[in-house]
Amino acid sequence: MRVGVLGIGKTPHKIQHSKSLRDLIVEAGRGAIADAGVSPSDIEMLYVGNVGSVGFNYENSTGLMAAHHLGVVPAGAVRVEAACGTGAWALHLGVVAIASGLYDTVMVVGAEKMNDLATVEATSIIAQAADSKEEYFSGLTFPSGVALTARKYMQIYGLTEEDLAHTSVKNHHYGARNPYAHLRFECTVEEVMKSAKVADPLKLYEVCPMTDAGSALILCREEILRDQPDKPQVYITASQMATGTWYAATDTLEDAYRLFNEPATRAYAMAGVTADDIDVAEIYNSFAIQEPLGIEGLGFAEPGEGWKGAKDGSTWKDGKVAVNLSGGLLCKGHPLGATGATQAVDIIEQLRGTAPEGIQAQDPEIGITACRGGPGAVGAIHIYQRLEGE
Amino acid sequence: MTVSAIEFTRLGPPKLQLYAMRCQSCKQLSPWWEHFHCYKCGGEVLTEELLEGRGELTNYTVVYYPPRDFLGQEPYVVGHITMDEGVLLPAPVVDTALEDVQVGTRVKSTLRRMKLGHEGDIYYSQKFVVDPNPPKKRARPAAAKAAPAKKAPAKPAPARRAAPKAK
Repeated sequence: MRVGVLGIGKTPHKIQHSKSLRDLIVEAGRGAIADAGVSPSDIEMLYVGNVGSVGFNYENSTGLMAAHHLGVVPAGAVRVEAACGTGAWALHLGVVAIASGLYDTVMVVGAEKMNDLATVEATSIIAQAADSKEEYFSGLTFPSGVALTARKYMQIYGLTEEDLAHTSVKNHHYGARNPYAHLRFECTVEEVMKSAKVADPLKLYEVCPMTDAGSALILCREEILRDQPDKPQVYITASQMATGTWYAATDTLEDAYRLFNEPATRAYAMAGVTADDIDVAEIYNSFAIQEPLGIEGLGFAEPGEGWKGAKDGSTWKDGKVAVNLSGGLLCKGHPLGATGATQAVDIIEQLRGTAPEGIQAQDPEIGITACRGGPGAVGAIHIYQRLEGE
Repeated sequence: MTVSAIEFTRLGPPKLQLYAMRCQSCKQLSPWWEHFHCYKCGGEVLTEELLEGRGELTNYTVVYYPPRDFLGQEPYVVGHITMDEGVLLPAPVVDTALEDVQVGTRVKSTLRRMKLGHEGDIYYSQKFVVDPNPPKKRARPAAAKAAPAKKAPAKPAPARRAAPKAK
């Protein structure tokens, strides 16, 4: 399977009080339309990833709102929701729509407007991605649920808090160089260790901020992109989804491993590549501990060793596999519905060679995105390849 | 979380008691929310079973940024408690200094106000306190395993079960 990436677009990732949800959708969407060189009337189907407009913005039917304001009417449009995996799910549906042969050109948008509410309200809305009425009845939040995972990992593998801090140091090194990132500063292990506690053992620099942003892609049949050889020849060659446990109480590290490893194994087979072939990866890390878990699930390191790359350099830009050169969610923030789409846009920029200076890897050809959602409930893998002259 | 008065009657009263669900096929004990099928074997006949209320804190965190319904309680300890019956439940641990809580602490349940809802609705449920009279012989060996790992973090312990290697 090859699905052409005709265009990409994204808004800055930051707190944007002057922009509404629809502003973010239109800005990202128009960016992708312009990049693709198509007109809105060429789009045959629109998938809009958005998690919480009902709660964050008191508006619903985000897909229909996007269709109207992007001017793609009468194309079909639908809103997609799968917790933090939402953007990746919208992308998956776009890929399926093209691969099925039903459509020639579709549009995928992910967007979230989180900062119209106070942190305490937004935290409560985010908690609804888990079982907020039963398990989270106990006072759990997403940060604290993942903190339990971090402590479990530390107990089993002997990871120290200082070891884990290197993951934030790496992400911030690159986030500082990404003009689209929310948090643009570098930090040291000591600064990570001294940052405010959020949910023991996770600290402020190990937790993503709440961010307003949108990202968009125009996908097309392989032949359409082939016929435009002057355009960057980047294709999506695998798209695989999975579910895992919806409860932190029953989520083991083995479950966390399987959440990515199972769909990644399918995706590698689908694209005909192996983990060793991957040059650049964007791995979901709304909390620092999720980066090593993702590195392990994708097969870049053995279970219990995924944290080492940030310390020894093997997951930095010139390492064996460059992980989160965008700064990851730790720096870009985590605009829930946008995140999966932003990961895709960031990897496609890497393969096109158009990533910002300082974070562009040297001539990468194969990239992967791994997005997750819920306590351990959504696993989403996409593989991207630059295929010139084939 | 905002709930209607009608929903409150469904959500609130069951949580006054500490119970878990027993699968009648494989006898697995699961958290109270598993009414529909057994997480382990898929069996569909599960019955409520009251718990004694004693167990051991096997994992915990301290919440500094609470959801709205818990505002005013922060910072608070919430963790996973492995009940002596074998089931693992999420719950807050109260009436203790943050630094006195550790993996392996013996705890027992107590009926407390859990949280305040948006409309002033009050939820009572089981929180946990440090058990003043822990049994001399621990019911479960899990604490003995967890404690050394905490003391000697330099040497990574192997995974309890080796995960399959990625291809």
